[in-house]
Amino acid sequence: MSGSARSEIFSRLRETGRGETAENIQRERLSLGSAPAPAPPAPEMCQAFILNVLKNQGSVDCASNRSEAVRAIAHYLYAHFHSYRLVAGNDPRLAAMPWRDAGVLPRFGSLQAGEPVALSFARLGVVETGAILTWTGKANPAANNFLPEHHIVLVDKNDLVPTMEKAWEKIHHAVEKTGRPRGIHFIAGPSSTADIEGDLVYGAHGPQRWHVILLGDVPGDAQNVARDASKPQS
Amino acid sequence: MEQHSDTFLANASKALKNSGQAERRDKIGLLAPQIRAAAIHSFDGFDELRQHVKEVRQHSLNNLDYYLSQFEKEAVQNGNQVHFARDSEEFNSLILDICQQHDARRIAKGKSMVTEETGLNSFLQGAGLNVRETDLGEYIVQQAGETPSHIVRPALHKSANDIRELFQQKHDLGARKLDKTSDLVVEARNVLRKDFLQAEVGVIGANALIAENGYSMLVTNEGNGDLCANLPKVLIVCTTIDRVLPRAEDASAMSRLLARSATGQPQSCYTSFYSGPRREGDIDGPLETHFVLLDNERSNILSSDYREILECIRCAACLDHCPIYTSVGGHAYGSIYPGPIGSVLTPLLTSLEQSHLLPNACTSCGRCAEVCPADIPLPDLLRDLRHEEGIKKLSPQRWRYGLKLHAWLARHPPLYQTLTAIGIRILHRLGRKRGRFSRLPFADGWTSQRDFPAPQENTFMQLYKAKMKQNNER
Repeated sequence: MSGSARSEIFSRLRETGRGETAENIQRERLSLGSAPAPAPPAPEMCQAFILNVLKNQGSVDCASNRSEAVRAIAHYLYAHFHSYRLVAGNDPRLAAMPWRDAGVLPRFGSLQAGEPVALSFARLGVVETGAILTWTGKANPAANNFLPEHHIVLVDKNDLVPTMEKAWEKIHHAVEKTGRPRGIHFIAGPSSTADIEGDLVYGAHGPQRWHVILLGDVPGDAQNVARDASKPQS
Repeated sequence: MEQHSDTFLANASKALKNSGQAERRDKIGLLAPQIRAAAIHSFDGFDELRQHVKEVRQHSLNNLDYYLSQFEKEAVQNGNQVHFARDSEEFNSLILDICQQHDARRIAKGKSMVTEETGLNSFLQGAGLNVRETDLGEYIVQQAGETPSHIVRPALHKSANDIRELFQQKHDLGARKLDKTSDLVVEARNVLRKDFLQAEVGVIGANALIAENGYSMLVTNEGNGDLCANLPKVLIVCTTIDRVLPRAEDASAMSRLLARSATGQPQSCYTSFYSGPRREGDIDGPLETHFVLLDNERSNILSSDYREILECIRCAACLDHCPIYTSVGGHAYGSIYPGPIGSVLTPLLTSLEQSHLLPNACTSCGRCAEVCPADIPLPDLLRDLRHEEGIKKLSPQRWRYGLKLHAWLARHPPLYQTLTAIGIRILHRLGRKRGRFSRLPFADGWTSQRDFPAPQENTFMQLYKAKMKQNNER
């Protein structure tokens, strides 16, 4: 059935197609160039990224080194769960974190029922959208993105890219060596729904909270934006 | 596709009488355009982006045989099985076959308009399978035994109270009252979490297919589509053949338009790209993946004068801005795709004979074309369909004769101006005292709802001529 359907559909498409050669088609696509991207909300990348993460209803912390990042994670876990447990993928970058410094107890693998928090180390952060990028594999099983109640994501400042086009350039380059991953995920906020009378509710099916920790030498102004946003509203 | 567009007028009258639903539609008609406008206002290059994506979409459709074939080759190389279906029947049968090959009983389904179009749920349920819609709006609609009333907000027609009552009937709530909206969301989350974990097959849609690498793009806010794509052992991606774009960057450019036009976000919470079954070393993900690609008239539309409708990205901005849609709601259209997009697409997917009333559900205000991120000239396409309706003599005889008379008069301006001047003078004299009419012959459609203002003594053309004469005499 599918075989004859395929031939019939392609035969109809060829009738309407222009019959151009592959070279001409590729050339025509190239001539169309790239899409314009929106201007960032601040000229400096870290600040712009943080502002967009906040706009996406994420919360943000900054950490200048791995030890500080672990302390920030410990603080977040204790504040929300009175616990220091989390689940993380088998990412060498996560395995090398000084967990003992702050007493965090990671379990490496895929999130299981009853485990509320997962940690991912983002491949990239996209300034344009305030999104983080991960892809599936041992280093970050898909369940860790979508099943926890809280999803914590570490983003290295050096992995920030301005636009989605730049993100794809990096992805194409990386997968040339490793092969195409099964799933590539741009994540821009906690799971949300407005399906009931337009009321926005977080935690529809995926995480209710999404916490991003920007790691590295983050400029003071950007740190201030993150700090101000984390202060309780009076 | 179950359709009852032939009763559009009766459906619309019924919808107008439901004040609760009308209020929610008014709210959407007021708020959604503001949210979209704010998102677009903050992006200076939006029009340039719109033109760029349009050019890419046109280029893709002009060379669809090439790009579809490239997508198929790459998708197969990624480990997928790619199937093609000419129509709904073939499409549904292909999916049932895959489910049966795996002895699957439970299917977790993400939002997919294509499967609504083919009636997949009832087909699978008829074969004894348990199909669970997992998008919150779709889940509500499925539990209520209804169809979606909006492309992006399927349960727009239901109030929180309707949904509370529905959950009270369908769920074992015990003493829980579900007072707040967030309680209703948590209730659905808990019920559906079990379905995600138990389903043997996941079914999702795709916002785009990428020819260069064989990935599909899925855009959601809830994350339900991603759970369907990652937890069950078998994944089936359903879409139509016209969704192919040349490059991954093109899909991202399209997502810039989509998120802003649909919900006013710079990006939806989850934009995921799926390439196939789990790779060596992966500890989760499906073991087998399929693409089922439906034609259902798309290849015919491609060779017709309506091909631009295939550039639609299903954002539903045209619904939110349409005075007809926001007045009567999605169910009045009696078709899967409502609003301006549906009024063009439905006659092309079924027949003009079955759905010729829909192209008339238009005030020609042009808002849909103004806001369409794909720059589709929807009012022109609707007018062309009305023209075809006239040629095929599908509209009532008195409409046709009325239009013919009007057309004849419009081609004879002196007579037209004389007759309108006489009519206007009579109305002016009759209505001089009250300044308005509460009843008028042949205009009860107007006067049943509001008074008709009595016109001034002279027509615009009379005033215009007098003004010109005055100017010339100076």
